[in-house]
Amino acid sequence: MGFSVSGSAAIVFVGIFLAFSSAYTASANGFERVADARSAVDEDALDRQNTALSVTNTTYDAGNDTLTVEAVNEGSTTLEVEAIDLLVDNTYRDDYAVRRVGGDNSTTLWLPGERLHLEVSTSSQPDRVKIVTGPGVAAAEVL
Amino acid sequence: MASVSASHLILFIASLVIAAGVAGTFTQGVSRLSQGIEDQSLEVSEEVRTDIEVISDAGSPVYNNSTNTVTLLVKNTGTSDLNNDSRFIEVLLDGRYRPNVTTTVVDGETWRPTNVIRLEVTAELSSGDHRVKLIVNGDEEVFRFRT
Repeated sequence: MGFSVSGSAAIVFVGIFLAFSSAYTASANGFERVADARSAVDEDALDRQNTALSVTNTTYDAGNDTLTVEAVNEGSTTLEVEAIDLLVDNTYRDDYAVRRVGGDNSTTLWLPGERLHLEVSTSSQPDRVKIVTGPGVAAAEVL
Repeated sequence: MASVSASHLILFIASLVIAAGVAGTFTQGVSRLSQGIEDQSLEVSEEVRTDIEVISDAGSPVYNNSTNTVTLLVKNTGTSDLNNDSRFIEVLLDGRYRPNVTTTVVDGETWRPTNVIRLEVTAELSSGDHRVKLIVNGDEEVFRFRT
């Protein structure tokens, strides 16, 4: 009878050990995955809080049908030029004739304090212009 | 004496078989639970990483009277790629579910973080204030406009 109890107990203990080791791995991975996601979202929220911009100049040149928009990064976050969206009367425009930051048209960064200069071609004078940054912070201007 | 040994052997084998059954059932149950935790954590992390923003300018016309179309620009401001297929985007316009939605990524191939989609909803709207609610992967966004 002694062998029966010992053998059975050993089998049950090994089973419990295997089950809990797999459960622990799955739980730890799951919690880590969710914690990573929350951390990424918190970092984005911080970036959003530190992002500010203002549209300093919007002019329409009827002579060459060009709309010029200038904005200044007034926050403390480095923004990506590729992630900037321009809406002209609610129409998404990414066919820029000119897109430069502080006189440099090759940079992909819009650093704090720098001026973004955008030029797009429009056939008529628009009413409103909106610039949206990568984190989602936006500024609108009436022409 | 031989009969005692035989009965002990039978009891010994039976106890091992029962123990193995108990351990197997337990391991299988916990393994299933682990798989559930794994799947659930994937879904929760995707939901946490999802964030969208309607970037359309409410000060400009959003509704086209001639084509009866509401056009919204929606930016992925989260940290995960999203599916821009209309089956994964729920649209409620003035509280009514709208299945006839078309979406197009306007600045890329897929709806990656910082990319924008154009979402067009066909609906006949009277003049006045309107409200559209978008639900993408559990993230809700409300946009109000006037026609």
